[in-house]
Amino acid sequence: MAKEFAAIFLTAILTQNFVLAKFLGICPFLGVSKKLNTAVGMSAAVIFVMGLATAVCYPINKFLLEKNGLEYLQTIVFILVIAALVQLVEIILKKYIPSLYNALGIYLPLITTNCAVLGVVILNIDEGYNFAQSMFNSIGAGFGFMLAMVMFAGVRSRLESCDIPKFMQGLPVTLVAASLVAVSFLGFTGIVENIFG
Amino acid sequence: MAEKKNLVKELTKGFVAENPVLRLVLGTCPTLAVTTSVSSAIGMGLAAMIVLVCSNVVISALRKVIPDKVRIPAYIVIIASFVTIVQMVVKAFVPALDAALGVYLPLIVVNCIILGRAEAYASKNPVLASAIDGVGMGIGFTAALFLMATIREVFGAGTFMVGIKDLLSVFGDVSFNGFSVPFLNENPMLVFILPPGGFFVYGILMACANKLAESKGKPRAELRGCEACPMAQTCSLNKKEKEEVAANG
Amino acid sequence: MKKISVKDILVPTVALLVFCLVATALLAGTNMITKDKIAQNAVETEKASRMVVLPEGKEFGEVKALDSGLTVCEAKNAEGKTAGYVFTSGAKGYGGTVLVMVGIDAEGTVTGIEILSHAETPGLGANATKDSFKERFIGKSGELTVDKNSNDGQNVQAITAATITSKAVTSAVNAAIAEFENIKGGAENG
Repeated sequence: MAKEFAAIFLTAILTQNFVLAKFLGICPFLGVSKKLNTAVGMSAAVIFVMGLATAVCYPINKFLLEKNGLEYLQTIVFILVIAALVQLVEIILKKYIPSLYNALGIYLPLITTNCAVLGVVILNIDEGYNFAQSMFNSIGAGFGFMLAMVMFAGVRSRLESCDIPKFMQGLPVTLVAASLVAVSFLGFTGIVENIFG
Repeated sequence: MAEKKNLVKELTKGFVAENPVLRLVLGTCPTLAVTTSVSSAIGMGLAAMIVLVCSNVVISALRKVIPDKVRIPAYIVIIASFVTIVQMVVKAFVPALDAALGVYLPLIVVNCIILGRAEAYASKNPVLASAIDGVGMGIGFTAALFLMATIREVFGAGTFMVGIKDLLSVFGDVSFNGFSVPFLNENPMLVFILPPGGFFVYGILMACANKLAESKGKPRAELRGCEACPMAQTCSLNKKEKEEVAANG
Repeated sequence: MKKISVKDILVPTVALLVFCLVATALLAGTNMITKDKIAQNAVETEKASRMVVLPEGKEFGEVKALDSGLTVCEAKNAEGKTAGYVFTSGAKGYGGTVLVMVGIDAEGTVTGIEILSHAETPGLGANATKDSFKERFIGKSGELTVDKNSNDGQNVQAITAATITSKAVTSAVNAAIAEFENIKGGAENG
């Protein structure tokens, strides 16, 4: 049992990394990874929202949509639930936990239209995970996002001081660097399955 | 006459000058994810284009009715409905495409191109112009995906347009199902269709686009994730950065 | 500070509600039109792959889930006799579970396999979906083992540079063969 959860968790972080293997959440990956502290803040907010979105969307899907044969409303319901959730969390944090709001709150609006959050909710359902498995997968995906962001922030801070050919400056070289980081993650393929298999 | 010329301009701007993928840097997730094969890239491009045109038309038609306060949720509802409709139609009539695109088909909802155009263009312009803007941007998106997928499929798998048969099956029986490229077919450079290849080809293509833009005196592509992002106004990250700039400068 | 009137809250809320209602109605309409076609597609694809793995089968019975996690479906030939069984069986590959559909005729010989879903590396493990690999199982029976070079007897030749995937597919096929023996044994005894 624990083994199964560990496998789901590690797969989501390493082999099926949301950013580097599934290409979800590329916008914040390229946009917010310039500095380490913003990268960490953004990823923490993503982990939080992914977990929360799964915790809310799973029962909605199971007890409202599936029961009434309304699966076709999944996309529209999930995106609205996530959008509302993010707004709600922002208001609550601002009012009651201002310190946490200052750390995470500013990244929250960005997350509404982040495909990683909607992606993880839909993927959990496609995979047929139960509630606990879904939660592990979502949190794992969030940590995978954080790992990729933090690593990439490090790479980018090195890039800043490099002498880059003019036509490669800016986004092109960032993308090529992301490619190399993705190569390193390719090495994880097979590891998780074989540790727990 | 002048108006007609303008509409042509609206159409063609999305092809090269304001190409959503290579110039505006929008919709990066599907760009990287579905370009492992040309046929799924074309399918993705067309699906996104249909959603883009429909949502642009509806949002433009309703632009005076939608209350400003709830405009983003309203746009999301409209876009999500069209995405779901496209998803159901694809599942019913082109099941192979549904299998190829997987989760990226419903994720068109959060494709920044669509919400971005809704906020930046359709909410301010009349219906016809919005429709044409949607077609132009859709063609630009599809063309960029096609270009990237061609490079990745030819080098990474040694084939071109394999699987197009399933896509064309809607129009009747087609015998053409792509072809394989000699030499590369026996010795494919796998890394091109693996995730790193996606980032790499995208980076190189963008460098070429930048070079091209520079020679014409246009600014290079920057990640406008924040400016183009429909949440920009409400986003406090944007404000914070501006404050930082103001404080430092 | 400007006072927020009831109207300021009510108008957007009602507008959004109307949008949602219209959208839901539209989706429900599309769903009515496409629902049957989608269901039919799923049935047809499944039937088509069953026909591929067990060409002799003409009528397929209900799909039953077994305790071991496999599913089985009995196939009858044109004369209405048992032509064989179609199993779906999963095994852990390199990138995740590889789901295999295995057709076994009444004598216990593998008539064909089909990879239903997998997450193997494109160009390496994903080559398992190619006919050249799937054909290596046809005509085999009993416990199979993976071999790097030969495809004789009980050996199944591995895909170059994808031994783990080959082993996964083979163990899925072995599980199906074992279940077949169970069913056959049960039928003979009972």
